[in-house]
This record gives sequence, C-alpha cells and structure tokens, in this order.
Amino acid sequence: MSDARLKFDESRRSLMERLFEARAIGEMSPVARVVAYGMLIFWSAFVIFPIYWVVITAFKDAAAVNQGPFYIPFVDFEPNLDAWRIHFLTDPYCDGYAIARQFGLLIHNVFAFILSPFVAIEPMEPQICRVYLAFSNSMVIGMASTALCVAIGSMAAYALARVTYKPKFGNIVVFVALALAVILATSYAGIPWYVSAAVGLALFFLLARSLGKRFTATLGNNDILFWIISQRILPPIVVIIPVYIMFQAVGLLDTHLGLIIIYAVANLPIVVWLMHDFFASLPIELEESAQLDGSTRFGIFWEIVLPLTRPGLAATTLLTLILNWNEYLFAVFLSTSKAQTMPIMVAAKNAGEKGVLWWEMCAIIVVMIIPVIFMAIILQRFIAKGVLLGAVKG
Amino acid sequence: MATATTGVPVNFDRIEKSFGPVRVLEELSLSIEPGEFLVLLGASGSGKTTALRILAGLETASAGRVLIGDREVTNILPKYRDVSMVFQSYALYPHKTVAENIGFPLKVRKIPVAEREAAVKEAAAQVQIDMLLDRYPRQLSGGQRQRVALARAMVRRPSVFLMDEPLSNLDAKLRGHMRAELKHMQSTLGTTTLYVTHDQIEAMTLAHRVAILEKGVLQQLDTPAKIYNDPANLFVAQFIGSPPMNVVQGTLSGTAFQTGGAKIATAVSGKVDKAILGFRPEDCSVVAPGKGSIKGEIYTTELIGDHTLVTVQTGRDKLTVKAPKDFSGKQGENIGVALSKEHLFVFDAVSGARIR
Repeated sequence: MSDARLKFDESRRSLMERLFEARAIGEMSPVARVVAYGMLIFWSAFVIFPIYWVVITAFKDAAAVNQGPFYIPFVDFEPNLDAWRIHFLTDPYCDGYAIARQFGLLIHNVFAFILSPFVAIEPMEPQICRVYLAFSNSMVIGMASTALCVAIGSMAAYALARVTYKPKFGNIVVFVALALAVILATSYAGIPWYVSAAVGLALFFLLARSLGKRFTATLGNNDILFWIISQRILPPIVVIIPVYIMFQAVGLLDTHLGLIIIYAVANLPIVVWLMHDFFASLPIELEESAQLDGSTRFGIFWEIVLPLTRPGLAATTLLTLILNWNEYLFAVFLSTSKAQTMPIMVAAKNAGEKGVLWWEMCAIIVVMIIPVIFMAIILQRFIAKGVLLGAVKG
Repeated sequence: MATATTGVPVNFDRIEKSFGPVRVLEELSLSIEPGEFLVLLGASGSGKTTALRILAGLETASAGRVLIGDREVTNILPKYRDVSMVFQSYALYPHKTVAENIGFPLKVRKIPVAEREAAVKEAAAQVQIDMLLDRYPRQLSGGQRQRVALARAMVRRPSVFLMDEPLSNLDAKLRGHMRAELKHMQSTLGTTTLYVTHDQIEAMTLAHRVAILEKGVLQQLDTPAKIYNDPANLFVAQFIGSPPMNVVQGTLSGTAFQTGGAKIATAVSGKVDKAILGFRPEDCSVVAPGKGSIKGEIYTTELIGDHTLVTVQTGRDKLTVKAPKDFSGKQGENIGVALSKEHLFVFDAVSGARIR
C-alpha cells in the first residue's frame, strides 16, 4: 500500500465532504446546521403558537371567536375584557373582602381540622367567586401536597440510597397472606377489624421470627425502589374507583386534605426516584466523615446531605409543583365544588349550554399559566451548579 | 503548640473480614503502641484500607475484636470511638467555610461558640491556615484543603488519628513538604496514629513501625530500617526499595547458588531446588566483562543525577545496578555484575520464605 492512500488530504475534499463535514470538533457541518436549526425553529413555533392563541383569545368576545379565525389583535379584531369581567366582576364575592375572608377561612379550617379530636369547631363555608376559589384551592393543594411529598419522598430516597435493606421474600408472602386473611375474617366472619388486625400482626411477628429464619431468598434496595417506581407506571385511572370508594368511606371527598393526600401519594414515586439518584451520587466520604465527627444520621441528612442536594431538591420540587398544578384526573373524580381546582374550572367551560366558551376558558388558562412561570423563576435560582465543588477533588 | 498528650494503644485481635465470598483480611493481629505512628503499607486490594475502616467503625469485622485503650469497640458506632480520620479525598463539607468545617466536630458536641472559635483558631494556626478561615473549600488549593482536613481531625484531640492515603492527591513537591509537617505534628501531639498508604517512601519516612499487608495477610511488622535491611520474605523484599530488589532464579545447594552457568557463594546454606537470589541495586556493581559473578549485556542506562541506573540483561532476567554518575557504558555492550556475599538474600521460590 502506498503512503498516499493511508493519509487524508484536506485540500482534495469533494463537495459532499465539504457540506457534510464539520470544521472542528464541537461544531456542526453546514448541512447539519441547517437541519438542526430548522427543526428547532419548527418546534418553537409549534409550542409558542398555542400559548399566543390562548392569550389573544382571552381578549376576544363571542363575535371575534365565532367569525374568526382572527390572528392579530387591533388589526383583525378589537381586543376587549369581556371574559375577564365575567370571571372577576360578574360573579358574586369577587371583592377584596371575599379574598380576605378566604384567607381567614383557610387558616380557620386548618385549625378546626387539627383540633377536631379535642374540640368540635364548625368549619367555615367558602363564600367567594369561582375563579378565586379554584385558584386558592389549586395553590393550597398544590403547595401542601408538594411539601408533604418532597419531605417524605426525599427521606425515603435517602434511606434507600444509604441503608441496606434485606427483606425476606418469604416474609412478604406471609404478610400478604395474613393481610388477606384479616380482610376475609373482618368482612365475612364478622370479627371486629381491630381484633383480626391485632391477631394478624401477632401471627406475622411470630411466623417471621420462627419460620422466617428458613427463608433464604431476600430482596434488596433495588427491588424496593422498583416497587415504588412501578406505582407510577400504573395509570392513575386504574385506581381511581377504589380510591373514590375509600375516600367516600372516610369522608375525604371534595376536601383539600383528600386531594393533598392523593396528590402526594401519586407523586411520591417520582420524588423517590429522582432524589435517590441525587443522594446516591453524593460522595459517601462526606457522610462517613460527618459520622466520625459525631453527627447523628438525621443530623447528617439535615446538615450535610440536604444542602448539597439543594439543586436536585429544587428541581424535584418544581416538577412536583407543576404536576400537582396541572393534575386533572384525580381532581375531576374526587372534588365537586368546594375543593375544585383550576384545571377542573378550565374543563368546565367546555360543557356550557351555550357551547364552548373559548374566551372565558382562555382567560382562566392565562391565570393558570402565570404562577407556574413565577415558580420556575424562583426555584431556578436554587438550581445552581457547582455546589459540590471542593468537596472531594484534589 | 499543644502539649504532647499520652497516646492510647490500639489492638487488632484476629480480625477477619469478608465481602461475600471474598476474604479481605485473614486473622489480622496488630498492636499499636501508645503514641506510635504505625503505617499500614500494601498494594491496592491488600486490605489495608479495610483494616483502617474497621478501626474507624465504618466497616464491621466478620470476626475478631478491636480495642482502643482497654475498651473493646468492635461493635460500637464510629462517633463513640473517639477517633478522627483524614480521608484520601479530604471529604470537606463544600457548603461550609473553613472555620465551619474545622468546628463541625465541636458543633455536634454542642461546645459553646466562644470555646469552639478559640479551638478552631488554635487548630488552624497549627497547620498555618488561620488566614483562610472565611474561605470555602472550592477556593482553596489541594495543599490547603489537606490542611483543613488535618485541622478538623485534630481540633477535638481524639485518642487515635486515622489517615487514609492523605497525601496521595498532592503533587510530588507538596507531598514531601506535608510529609515532614505531618511527622512533626504527630510527634508533637503524641497521638496514636494509623496511616494507610501504598507509597513505600511515605511509609519509610513517616513510620515508627511499618506493617506490610498483602492479600489480607500481615507479611512483616517492624521498623522501616529492619524491613529494608532484613525482609521477612520475598514479597516484602520486592515491595520495599526503589528501584526494587533484583531477583535471579536458580537452585541452592550448600552455600552455593547456581543460575545459568554462574555459581554464587552465599552466606546461607541449604538444599532448595527452586530458589531465588535477591540483591538490591546499590549492593552490586558493574565491572569489566568476564569479571564479577554474573555476566550480561547492557540493556539501557538511566542517569538519575547523583548516580546512574544500569539495566543489565542476563539470560532471561533483567538486573538493575546502581553505578556512578559518570558511567559511560553503551547499550549492547557486554558487562559483568559483581555481588557482595553479605548483601545477598535467598528465598524459597515456591513459598517465598526467606532462607537464613
């Protein structure tokens, strides 16, 4: 083989090579550049246009919607505030007093709930226009369930990342079998539930201590993690009917607490899964060092681990907040009026007697978008990079 | 400077450790004298770090006992052991300032702020970082981070210092400097210290005694000089010394070691079919071809500065000989290697045991 055939010659590139070859590593070839930016522009138009359409529709009236399509305000149509008047003026209880009363109601009802085992305090009934009610419901439910979910989920994720669990498979089978027996005994044999549950638990501990020693197959942390994630793989529609019946039985239908619980439960797998990765990627020496320095496990979590996973925590919180804010399925089944959230109110505009009230719907959607933008801006400041710099690298 | 405290002894009593089927430590018994600087030396995978972590309480032994002073600590949490550790990666808390890092062990012990600040200042002054107290770890150089880790380890005056290759992330010049400081600091404080390293120079220079581990088995525990001059077996002989000891395969009959055509007189006697003759590069010399006990040809020469290292090819072995710095032999030239009888070591090639 001649030497020339082993070498590339830059000056003898063909036109195709010139078009398809990048000039340097980290750059794109001319053709790739056109394709990539073209796709990006197409995608941007695809996601921005609906938002633009929603915003301008919120300022149209029935005529401008029905005789449309009109694209450009002041040119195609005269924007007006009809939809906004309907939501914020025509409805009763849209004034400052009603808003202040709603704040008072939230605090009053929380105390009423907390003190309910000791004193019976009558909860206040909402008396506020629908858009404010839905907005405050969405805020309260979204934030409370996010706080609950992130608190429980991150602690669970940390435990799964740092503690070795070895539950025996046989013990789990025994537990499930006994739980079934307890349910059967309660519902068919008429035994009070607390008796059967106590007997079942006692039997389980007895069996786990005696029979359990013979079981050899064990599950590990990854199995537990997968079990938790698998709860999110399941479509929520599958569990909604049983959840409805359960909530009906304990009086959680159409309550804030009910939605807070179900949202927290539904998003727990995502929080555990995301936070597990953040915790697992922390250098373990930091925690070992803190342990030798004398810190307790909870102290390590609070003072070393959480500050270092702050970006992950912020990202997870943001994601959970947005998921809760947008949630529709649970809300539509489990809330009817008092605990109604924004997405339900948006959807309700689809089912009016006068057809779809697009302008009214779009006004609510605009109200719904604004808090998400604020949340993203606030939390994005925490998603700073480089927190771990200087920890372990020499 | 703080006054020297009297150290406590540390004992490993037949410690075993297995990770699943892998045995990492086999019946390790080791006693560290009060105030002693003991270095655990071994290649990676020898179990030295595991032994250290068992003493720290970050790993539990599969069998055996660990004693600090006369207290058994085998199964108690790290924080109750009164030991402090310097990690290879320093493990500084990146979101805390230098002062907060050093003061952390005192903070979790709820020492009053004023007392804590005084102790932090004193510890920082001891390692000369008292002007960096408000910085964050990311703003420090490798050597400064190392000092912060040291200050954090000594601020609460533990009974035992544990150090896991603390110098290995530093560049060569700084490592030499920190080595001297570490040695000075340890002897000033008089705290019992267990130091793990794979670097034989660190082991030789720092230690009162060196324990050499290989595959979880203690090979030799002795002072650096004894380990160098009187290795217990072939592993220790080859592990210690830079460049390493030369080895020649052959047979030992009587006092004569035979290899190839050469017959070398030794100070030991015995009858071993598969024996190994070892001698250090500085204990032999290059001589004119035909002279000396071993003949060969020059493979390569390396001028180190104050001496030249000559690699000599003899049959299947390559020998390294320390020659004067003005040695002028060329690659491929024939040459002889002269040995001195009193500096020869003979080992059993099968068991590795020293024949004396």
